[in-house]
Amino acid sequence: MEEWDVPQMKKEVESLKYQLAFQREMASKTIPELLKWIEDGIPKDPFLNPDLMKNNPWVEKGKCAIL
Amino acid sequence: MATEGLHENETLASLKSEAESLKGKLEEERAKLRDVELHQVAERVEALGQFVMKTRRTLKGHGNKVLCMDWCKDKRRIVSSSQDGKVIVWDSFTTNKEHAVTMPCTWVMACAYAPSGCAIACGGLDNKCSVYPLTFDKNENMAAKKKSVAMHTNYLSACSFTNSDMQILTASGDGTCALWDVESGQLLQSFHGHGADVLCLDLAPSETGNTFVSGGCDKKAMVWDMRSGQCVQAFETHESDINSVRYYPSGDAFASGSDDATCRLYDLRADREVAIYSKESIIFGASSVDFSLSGRLLFAGYNDYTINVWDVLKGSRVSILFGHENRVSTLRVSPDGTAFCSGSWDHTLRVWA
Repeated sequence: MEEWDVPQMKKEVESLKYQLAFQREMASKTIPELLKWIEDGIPKDPFLNPDLMKNNPWVEKGKCAIL
Repeated sequence: MATEGLHENETLASLKSEAESLKGKLEEERAKLRDVELHQVAERVEALGQFVMKTRRTLKGHGNKVLCMDWCKDKRRIVSSSQDGKVIVWDSFTTNKEHAVTMPCTWVMACAYAPSGCAIACGGLDNKCSVYPLTFDKNENMAAKKKSVAMHTNYLSACSFTNSDMQILTASGDGTCALWDVESGQLLQSFHGHGADVLCLDLAPSETGNTFVSGGCDKKAMVWDMRSGQCVQAFETHESDINSVRYYPSGDAFASGSDDATCRLYDLRADREVAIYSKESIIFGASSVDFSLSGRLLFAGYNDYTINVWDVLKGSRVSILFGHENRVSTLRVSPDGTAFCSGSWDHTLRVWA
């Protein structure tokens, strides 16, 4: 960025102004919602459910296969 | 004329200082919203138990470093690309190779499966992104149907179809990202703003609208509006190249992996970094990251040959996976979240569950 010329620097300034205008929200709102999203999804997450893992197609069911 | 040069220097200097002051204001605005920390809110969440994750399949066939891979929506086919110039489509369940094509260049750094499952895209040192329709006709030569779509002025580092087979998003060593129409090869939108090579990109989940995130050698992660080409948000907290970016499944956050040996989580609505996943013992760069289905786990492949599994909420590592005999270069969770696949410089791919 040190080698940027005037037109590129102008674009950077424009971009920064645009970013400053972003409608950000309070962490006390967004973080609990992120957590809730995860918690709602956990029952369906194959890696977090031993029950789901039993039916996982990648995991061999037993040592014997019926040919 | 000497006076013109002086004027140009003054304008450049004043623009630079304006940019610095805007960056300062951005930090102030972000700090105002920082009323809770992720780890505080996550204290009440139950810790995760022990994990048993093993290699369930090993895909052997590449003659050199595996650089990239992608899953097909059918949850079993995989496309992978290598330094040896080959792109292979596998049925990862049976480990059979279904298609193979040799590219005219070595270092095929990017590959992607089309949403329909009927085509793949790839590219690398040829500076292009090409689309190959997949045919099951043994008499047809896959290479003959190749379609050149994207043209950059430096290497292609990443590519992804949008939510249809009709458009492709690319990232390049030339510092830009671009959106292309596959049929005509036309450039639909270009994205300028990175100060160095762009190494990775990821599209927002379709429900959240038309944005994507990119990461580069300038240590910046940038979120873009696909329609206007504008950078909507930018984050500069990493201390080195960002090798991988991945949206969190809800679209409200994204994770990044970097040569600074850390992975980080960014809350897009609060507009800041909210977690750093690191350990003193981890000193090698993270090359690729992906979330489990719920977003609770972050899988990250590293240049020290390992895969670390992180508890996204608590910030702790829950598992470390050994197996690869060289750098892990690429990692993606399967579409239904039942497994993830890693590709490595040891020439193999592994499916873990």
